[in-house]
Amino acid sequence: MQIIAGSILKRVAFQAAPLAMPDNSSVWRHMSDALHQSMYRVLSLLIAILPGLLAFFVALVIFALIGMALSATARRVLGWARFDERVARNRTDINWTPSSSPTELTARVCFWAFVLLGLIVGVSAFDTSYATATALPISLLPYLTHAVGAIFLLIAGTLIARFLARSVLISAVNAQLQYARILSLGVKWLVLVLTAAMVLDHLEIGGNIVALAFGILFGGIVLTLSLAVGLGSRDLVSRSLESHVERTGDRGMPPPTAAQGNVETIRHF
Amino acid sequence: MATANSTTGMTTPAEPATGGLLVLLTPMPSEQLEGILEQLSGAFQPDSLVIATGDGIAVDAWPSLTFEPLPSAEMSVTLTAADFVNAHQLAEKHESRGMLILGPESGSLAPAALHRLADAVLSASADLAVPCYDLPPRAGLVNSAILYPVTRALFASPVRFPLAIDLGLSRRMAERLAVLSQRLPAANQRDTLFWPVNEASVCGLSIQECEAGSRALPQPVDPDLNTVLANVTGALFADVEAKAAYWQRARRPVGSRPPVPQTHAADAPMDIGPMIESFRLAWSNLQEIWSLVLPPNSLLGLKRLSMAAPENFRMPDNLWARIVFDFLLAYRLRTLNRGHLLGALIPLYLAWVASHIGITASGVAPERHVEAVAAAFETEKAYLVSRWRWPDRFNP
Repeated sequence: MQIIAGSILKRVAFQAAPLAMPDNSSVWRHMSDALHQSMYRVLSLLIAILPGLLAFFVALVIFALIGMALSATARRVLGWARFDERVARNRTDINWTPSSSPTELTARVCFWAFVLLGLIVGVSAFDTSYATATALPISLLPYLTHAVGAIFLLIAGTLIARFLARSVLISAVNAQLQYARILSLGVKWLVLVLTAAMVLDHLEIGGNIVALAFGILFGGIVLTLSLAVGLGSRDLVSRSLESHVERTGDRGMPPPTAAQGNVETIRHF
Repeated sequence: MATANSTTGMTTPAEPATGGLLVLLTPMPSEQLEGILEQLSGAFQPDSLVIATGDGIAVDAWPSLTFEPLPSAEMSVTLTAADFVNAHQLAEKHESRGMLILGPESGSLAPAALHRLADAVLSASADLAVPCYDLPPRAGLVNSAILYPVTRALFASPVRFPLAIDLGLSRRMAERLAVLSQRLPAANQRDTLFWPVNEASVCGLSIQECEAGSRALPQPVDPDLNTVLANVTGALFADVEAKAAYWQRARRPVGSRPPVPQTHAADAPMDIGPMIESFRLAWSNLQEIWSLVLPPNSLLGLKRLSMAAPENFRMPDNLWARIVFDFLLAYRLRTLNRGHLLGALIPLYLAWVASHIGITASGVAPERHVEAVAAAFETEKAYLVSRWRWPDRFNP
């Protein structure tokens, strides 16, 4: 009886032993299985989108090469057709002439248009392969489009800020305003701040905080300038305006007649 | 027998006068028009004269004169492409041997001056007759500082007033200018400046300068110096750029002109302090813009000038010549926006004016100084040619 009970007891204890004591090899196996599976998923994803990535770069390079070829062709054709001279003949206003010749501008626009087209094609190819490789319906294309638009906004804003700053500086110096440089810097930073706010808004970063901060900053700058001009620089502005009116009168006065005697006049033209 | 045109009220001849002189009067106030018509009636035979004007005129008051109507236009102190187109068309219609184009205030010209201009083109001795005015010492300073020296240095033309508002043209000169004008869109013909002296030089047509005596200068529509200087200088720079193949060939310098007798009394001393302050303000604010256009040598010269006392404020002639040529190069290379470039030239021009007034106040005759400036431009032409051909390599 005792021997049977002991053997039964041994058998039960042997069977209960795995339940009562932890099995280390099983935990490690589960962990390594989990790691292996996640690595497999990621590598599969990478392998799946690799063709899309490659397609992106290939599309970009091919379209850039096409753009370069077309740009060079356009430059030659427009040079042969004397495009610059024809455009110059049709323009009389020099204030908006670009810093590059019309031929050069056209060639550059042609090149960058093809680069942009290559970018769109490449991103579209990448986006397609990414969407098919993953279960999540995530598409990168809209965000990349916003990013490209934001870059264009930034470039345009910077160019406009530089142009306006220089215009204001030269005009203010010719109007003999002592604060010409301050005025020019103020205009430049106003435009740059406006551009930065537009870029952040376009990228949907910050939301209402950016709009509010920009409104407070811009309004504060304008209010400060108004108070400064209205209260603090009143005498300076009136002196500048008076001297400007006197100079305009000197420059535009007719040549002195005998009755006017020794009136000092300059006729520039 | 004359017939009346009921629409315009002008008299048109049944048989057009041929082989005579066509006089084209640019838009001007009616009192000036009356004055010039009196001069013309006295100076020329009415039967050989055809007068073209767009302004309303009481033709009954001038029964002996023949009129041609022109499209109405705004008054301008310079001759534009549209004036040359009209002159050529009417000259073809009337088979005129020569034509005069007279601008506003031309009634102040002596009849002898009108005769000289007309004789030069009617006698076939010249294709282009340009008047040489006797102006007060402080008048026409843009012409003295920029237009005359540049034209003389690059086109080897001794004409003192290359953008004169009165001209005498032969048929072929008018045809040449009309052909160039018609290449422009109609909307731009009223605003585009032409340079008849430069065109005649390039085409090999003969130019004759005629003494015209004193003349009243018309008031620009927009008397702002910024606008006038930018328009005129920009047009000159564009013309020089278009004719680069011509003026880069070496030509014999013109040499000094004969001294012009000064009939105007010397002007009273003028305070050039504001002009010097304007230049100093520009020096402190526009240095970075000027440094894009001017080489270090010129900037150093301007720095010294900014530190000079008003009584010693003298801009060297060769410095001014190099500055103008550097701006011409920057115009061609589009280093800056062209509007900005010409705006940045204004303080430098005012510095030259202050220097010119200071020099003439010290006893030097104004014309002598202007001739010295023009000679400096001729000397520095080689500098312009080198930088034009190798803009990146030759930068002293």
